[in-house]
Amino acid sequence: MNLLAKYFPNAVTMKSDFLQATGETLYMTAITAIVAGIIGMAIGIGLIVTQPGGILENRVVYNILDKLVNLCRSIPFVILLAVIAPLTRIIVGTAIGTTAAIVPLVIGSAPFYARQIQNALAEVDHGVVEAAESVGSGPIAIIFRVYLKEGLPDIIRSSVLTLISLIDLTAMAGAIGGGGLGNLAINVGYSRFETDVTVMAMLIILVIVFAIQLIGDLLARRVDHTA
Amino acid sequence: MTNEAIIQLKDIDVTFHNKGQTVEAVKKVSLTVERGDIYGVVGYSGAGKSTLVRVINRLQRPTAGSVEVSGQDILALNPRELRTARTKIGMIFQHFNLMASRTIADNVGYPLKGRLARDERKKKVAHLLDLVGLSEKAEDYPAQLSGGQKQRVAIARALANDPEILISDEATSALDPKTTSSILELLKRLNKELGLTVVLITHEMEAVKEICNKVAVMEAGEIIERGDLVTIFSRPEKPLTQDFINTATQINQALEKIFRQAATLNLSESQQLVQLQYVGASTDAPLITELYKRYGVVSNILYGNVEILQDTPLGNLIVVMSGEPDKLAAAWQYCQDAGINITHLNPNDSEVA
Repeated sequence: MNLLAKYFPNAVTMKSDFLQATGETLYMTAITAIVAGIIGMAIGIGLIVTQPGGILENRVVYNILDKLVNLCRSIPFVILLAVIAPLTRIIVGTAIGTTAAIVPLVIGSAPFYARQIQNALAEVDHGVVEAAESVGSGPIAIIFRVYLKEGLPDIIRSSVLTLISLIDLTAMAGAIGGGGLGNLAINVGYSRFETDVTVMAMLIILVIVFAIQLIGDLLARRVDHTA
Repeated sequence: MTNEAIIQLKDIDVTFHNKGQTVEAVKKVSLTVERGDIYGVVGYSGAGKSTLVRVINRLQRPTAGSVEVSGQDILALNPRELRTARTKIGMIFQHFNLMASRTIADNVGYPLKGRLARDERKKKVAHLLDLVGLSEKAEDYPAQLSGGQKQRVAIARALANDPEILISDEATSALDPKTTSSILELLKRLNKELGLTVVLITHEMEAVKEICNKVAVMEAGEIIERGDLVTIFSRPEKPLTQDFINTATQINQALEKIFRQAATLNLSESQQLVQLQYVGASTDAPLITELYKRYGVVSNILYGNVEILQDTPLGNLIVVMSGEPDKLAAAWQYCQDAGINITHLNPNDSEVA
């Protein structure tokens, strides 16, 4: 404890701030993960089934989804935060705070996740899809019983990747008023020259990221039967 | 075996447009498969045979033509009807196409999901695995199985819906010869025991020779020759067909060796290198003895082969016949009258038949 006090003189006095900030970061991450996860998954599946040669090939839908994803992914997140503030205000009533940060976080991470899902599902052997078609499976059965089932190990790996990049985004959103560990690191640690606070915030984020990575790897290995 | 047509393809065209290029994969092909047939479709890769059979269950929609399976117009079906029709047409593939994430039992039971209750499904899966001889692998994953075992699983899966037709798309092409034979045996058994109609696509005439009763040869999107197995094997008309058959019966290799040797044989005027081919009963006639007794023609056998196709023997002999020119001519006439096909071979002609 003394050692902690020696190297983190300011941080040790802010225990409750850190707890709250960690809670906020996890809250933003979790809610965004759920909302962006559903949206991204839907778009990713949409891209796969409507792509040329897909089971519900549809050039128009595919092009719209594809362009939409590209467009959203082209906007730097820091700028996106500012640009969609009015939209955020309409949806949650305010553009400041943890809950308000979720709107840009969803818009920033859903397209990324959609691409990850698309890539994961593209790895599913087309022959297996064809075999399912040949026994009379319809599109819904093929999506749920073939694509999502066969692509699960890759979906888990992509989800881990997206979650980690999402934590990155929460830090950025936090820095401009969203709260959380990013807010603590920049607006307290950096601005007041209390470097130890910044380092502590970083360490907590590292622990969260490692935990996600570890759990993800374990899960992916458990469901992967390819070798 | 009834003569009821179970699959009728009429004037099928399949044209692909890709980046401004037009590829006519299948051109005006008609094909009738009767119930109980094991119909072989042979051709080199790119001949259009896979594209053609994928039209049967509409995995490939033809550009033109009509498709009738069990009296049903496949091209007129809506998606739901098509799915129902597909349950009656099983299909197996070169690369097995099993789901890596599911156990063997789950792979076989996949087509029954949502159609049969869980315990009924279990019973059916057990029966299917027993049918293909893989009961003890039920809880394994595909990655743990050999190629032949994977194909057996794929066959069990294809049979889950009790189909009337099984399409085999190069199903033995990724397997070694011994495994190939065992898979072909299994298909033949299913044909006999379940009355399953089989459409077998392959580039190996050996596979056709082993189990098919009819065969069609495809080249550049067209069927160039077709008929029952024995007729095609005994009287192939097109060069490609002859080529396939000679490879299957290994006559090509034999001829090559003989031709290389021919120079050393130093055939005289009174000697002729001929290939004798006979079908069915004439196989049993003591031909060589007969030729000597009647015409004093001596036959020196260089190569001999008898294939049993659909219980009909098909014999091939490559012999050097020696005798007086007129006796030789008479001997050949005798052979022809006995229904034996004679081909005169010229060793100096390097072109192998």
